[in-house]
Amino acid sequence: MLRGSLAIWQRDMLILRRSIISELVAVVAYPLTIYLAFGIGMQSYIGLVDGAPYSMFIAPGLITMTAVSAAYNESVWSLWFHRRVQFTIESYRVTPISVSEIVIAKIFTGFTHGIIKGCAVGLVIFTITPFRFPLEHLLQYLLFLIPGSALFSCAGIISGTVMDKPETIGKVEAVLVMPLIFMSGLFFPLSSYPPSVVSWVRALPTTALFEGARRVLVAGDMQSLAALQVSLSAIVAFVAAVCIFRYKMSE
Amino acid sequence: MATAAIVTRSLTKSYGELTALDSFDLEVEHGSIFGLLGPNGAGKTTLIRILTTLMRQSSGDASIEGLDILRSGREIRSMIGVVSQENSLDRYLTARENLELHARLHGMEKKLYKRRIDDLLELMGLAGRQKDFPDTFSGGMQRRLVIARALVHQPQVLFLDEPTTGLDPQSRRAVWEYVRSLAGSMTIFLTTHYLEEAEQLCDRIAIMDHGRLIAIGSTQELKDRLSGATVYEIEFAGQDADHYAALLGAMPCVIDLKQVENKIAITLECWECLSEIVTALNGVPVRRISLQERTLEDVFISLTGQKVRE
Repeated sequence: MLRGSLAIWQRDMLILRRSIISELVAVVAYPLTIYLAFGIGMQSYIGLVDGAPYSMFIAPGLITMTAVSAAYNESVWSLWFHRRVQFTIESYRVTPISVSEIVIAKIFTGFTHGIIKGCAVGLVIFTITPFRFPLEHLLQYLLFLIPGSALFSCAGIISGTVMDKPETIGKVEAVLVMPLIFMSGLFFPLSSYPPSVVSWVRALPTTALFEGARRVLVAGDMQSLAALQVSLSAIVAFVAAVCIFRYKMSE
Repeated sequence: MATAAIVTRSLTKSYGELTALDSFDLEVEHGSIFGLLGPNGAGKTTLIRILTTLMRQSSGDASIEGLDILRSGREIRSMIGVVSQENSLDRYLTARENLELHARLHGMEKKLYKRRIDDLLELMGLAGRQKDFPDTFSGGMQRRLVIARALVHQPQVLFLDEPTTGLDPQSRRAVWEYVRSLAGSMTIFLTTHYLEEAEQLCDRIAIMDHGRLIAIGSTQELKDRLSGATVYEIEFAGQDADHYAALLGAMPCVIDLKQVENKIAITLECWECLSEIVTALNGVPVRRISLQERTLEDVFISLTGQKVRE
């Protein structure tokens, strides 16, 4: 059933392997710059946040942000490029595989990019900082990172499916994806929000992802409901991505 | 009698109020090379997209090798090869990797497709460039690679949607040679804007316009269908061509007459009228009388009109 998905995913991984060094350099540079500028540079001005040094406070968010951004970007641009520029999606569609197999492959590709790039940033941050997280915390953190990457990969697939113009994709990222990430408590505690806003912000799956990821990685405080919320959101996004792609292809 | 390779019955596709395909009936024989001609927007690509299961029809039926396109999409896709208008090669994969991916999508075993790809690359003259990326290929080489990709799984029906558009004459002829070499081993369904291409390659040709089939037959049958009129060009040796033009123009069997300097092209009602013309020109210094063969382009223009389509 997933023979086609496997073939396309293997193709995508071959391309990733060929460009892994340049991909990692590019993907690590941005969060690392933020980490050095805010985490190290501003640390002495900010002090402790929620009982943790500021550089430690933002580290889980930067790793998560790298992973989900990579998942989103890979999915959205890959799907758009293969659909609108290279027409490879069409060449897949005249083979005996289903449309669902194509979209599942692309979701897994985005997800894989997210996990690999998130782990790369994590390794770099762990290498250059004195902070060490217990292995148990790291494993529990994966309960957020994996569905989070899947969620953003599916979101990327939906954007790459419904948007035909590259500039629209860029606008959506600027006005929707990045604000959702940045306003989810990546750089500041949710307690900074006015009380009337907090409940709304907490309802967002991105908040559950970033807040839950930080709590479990820094303090070992596993927020099971938050993890469940992210996982359920990923499942809903997966179903939506498959349905929307199938609908678009049938037009 | 064996089922035709491709059959459509009242096939219709509408986009809102626009009818791209209008009750289209067609049968394509096994092992033949079938050409579909039509001006831009005639519905050719819509028909190919429906037959290759990329698009669903609004109504009517179609089958490939006896399988209904709505009910047996996966089976049909396993037995067809498609060369689309767009050059859909993967520019991040080498020529060989492009073919290997296609083979894996068709569920072929590695030992089977490895040999098949070797053969195809050799056949298409790309064996020496198999590790190169398609971006470094000429247009003709890219097109040959697309055709090779469509042949990896040994399809029974090959769809070629304007396969030589944008190619130089040499590359175009090379593609024709490959297509010709496939004749008989599979059914080939070809759309093209190049009438010479259809004339050179196809056993049968259909002409469609506004979503409808307007003529079908062999090249000769289509030419014969273009009224009984016959055109002759007469070249005169002297300077009195105007006088002879007036003489010929007055003859009832001459339907049309065009003069360019000392050459006069006359359209006769039928070829039997030629003897009357020869009699009338007795003693006139005629340098040459030649029959102007009707071309497929004449047939095409007469059926679809001269107006440029958007």
